Amino acid sequence: MKTLFYNIGYFRKEAAKTVGLNPLSNLFSLLGTGLILFLLGMVMMGWSVGNHMIDSLQKEAEISAYFEQGIGREQAEALVDEIKRVDGVREAALIEEEEAQNRMKEILGEEAHILELFDENPFEAFIEVRIDLDLMDSVLKNVKEQKEIEYVRDNREVLEQIRNLTEGIKRFGYLVILAVGITTMIIISHMIRQGIYHNKEHINTLRLLGAPNSFIGFPYLLSGLFLTLLGGLLAVALLRLLLESGYHQLGGAIPFIPLPTKEELFGNSASFVIMISALLGLFGSLFGLSSIKPNDTK
Amino acid sequence: MNSLAKERRAMGVSMNSLARERRAFGRIAKAAILQDLCQKSTGISMIEANGVSLRYKDGTEALKKVTLTIKQGELVYITGPSGSGKTSFLKLLMGMEQPTGGTLRVFNHPMNGNERKIRKLRRKIGPVFQEFKLIEGRTVLENVMIGIRFLGISPKKMKEEAVNALHKVGLGHKIYSKVENLSWGEAQRVAIARAVIRKPALILADEPTGNLDHENAVHILKLLTSFTNSNTTVIITTHATHLIENEENATFLRVNAGEFTIERSRNGGYDEDIIL
Repeated sequence: MKTLFYNIGYFRKEAAKTVGLNPLSNLFSLLGTGLILFLLGMVMMGWSVGNHMIDSLQKEAEISAYFEQGIGREQAEALVDEIKRVDGVREAALIEEEEAQNRMKEILGEEAHILELFDENPFEAFIEVRIDLDLMDSVLKNVKEQKEIEYVRDNREVLEQIRNLTEGIKRFGYLVILAVGITTMIIISHMIRQGIYHNKEHINTLRLLGAPNSFIGFPYLLSGLFLTLLGGLLAVALLRLLLESGYHQLGGAIPFIPLPTKEELFGNSASFVIMISALLGLFGSLFGLSSIKPNDTK
Repeated sequence: MNSLAKERRAMGVSMNSLARERRAFGRIAKAAILQDLCQKSTGISMIEANGVSLRYKDGTEALKKVTLTIKQGELVYITGPSGSGKTSFLKLLMGMEQPTGGTLRVFNHPMNGNERKIRKLRRKIGPVFQEFKLIEGRTVLENVMIGIRFLGISPKKMKEEAVNALHKVGLGHKIYSKVENLSWGEAQRVAIARAVIRKPALILADEPTGNLDHENAVHILKLLTSFTNSNTTVIITTHATHLIENEENATFLRVNAGEFTIERSRNGGYDEDIIL
């Protein structure tokens, strides 16, 4: 440890020399690593958006219970109280026809004038029931069993679809991580091996002077780490550019679903990409170092 | 009055320098006595070769059943024609090759097998390679410092030691020169500085005067042999027998076609420290 501390300057210089040995080849390695990590960052963002959507929808999970139109307000309120007592119901409220119409106006925004084409309010009163998603099946069963309830509308299908989509992104993400991992490790270990072959006289001299492998290998490890971290930073810069230009379009494409904030989305993906790039640099360099046989440097 | 004062001052200066010299002489004398006592009392075997043979993969028999013991603080010259086995013997001592027969112990450790242990042993050795093995693209100072970088020494101390070592070999003015810009003789001196900076227990110098002019060669040999005073064993292979023929405190081994013979032992007589 003392040796490591005392020789930081030396290791840094040697690592820079290793990177500078094949500037063009290392530049392409850097760009390749950066683009691969950018791909990983994009998948991470997709994953993050999917998870956020599910979380939000789960928090907002609700069903709409429609009752017979003939019943009066008092009876409807008694029905609301009855539903409130069902296990798994967090909240229940009566939504009058007028409020139902106003809500739709809000959702439609500029297109709300379409509702003016109706002579009468086309919306029915209903009971809005916020539920615990884990108990959805039993809540649905109990609500449907209420005498005055005609039908119940739930958003289970939407939730299932989003969940499936996120699972798909997750699985794809694992594949991308694997692909990125293998590719980056190969690029970095190849770069390390190249550096070692270029410096084999140097390494052999150090061995003859009695230097331990850790001392000999540390500059190579640093150079691998440096290149992948630089690749990671490049990926993060590209992710930022992508977010700056594409976040609003994403929001426009799915207006009803809340997205995580831009900063949250960027922060999560960027820290993940940097962490992964550091790990890959470390393991890639170690792989490169371990694949060198003693005779290779004689 | 003025001249009297000047003379008095001059006398005072002379007295002071005399006192300094007396003190210095006392220190040197004490050190010499201690070293002598140490050499006489220790007599620890540094190298023990017992029937050591070395045959390369191509079938060349470089060394044939070498048996010898070299003790701590010994100065040994190995002479012999090119290809006789001088460098091969040093390679065995460095662990660069492993004996194909017999047993070899350096610092009482067997020189076969475990690369990690051999690497540790090498840290006690100051090697001067025939082809120098300097690292190109680095300065003279960096090349010398590399010899002690992994010994846990602070950067300031490392630099100090390296500059001192370079001054000793007469290269104090070239510390920031790139090694590829040095003359052959200067490069050799850098290699020597890198070897001695580690204050090794064993110095192995392979033809250290091979590329030097007479004056530099004498200087380098003096420098290398001076390390025996601090109980360091020094083994030097050389062709330049004319430079060492008057050396009295050394043992001369001659190697011919892989066989070692004792040519002259310390102080001219047979030396029990070396058994052949």
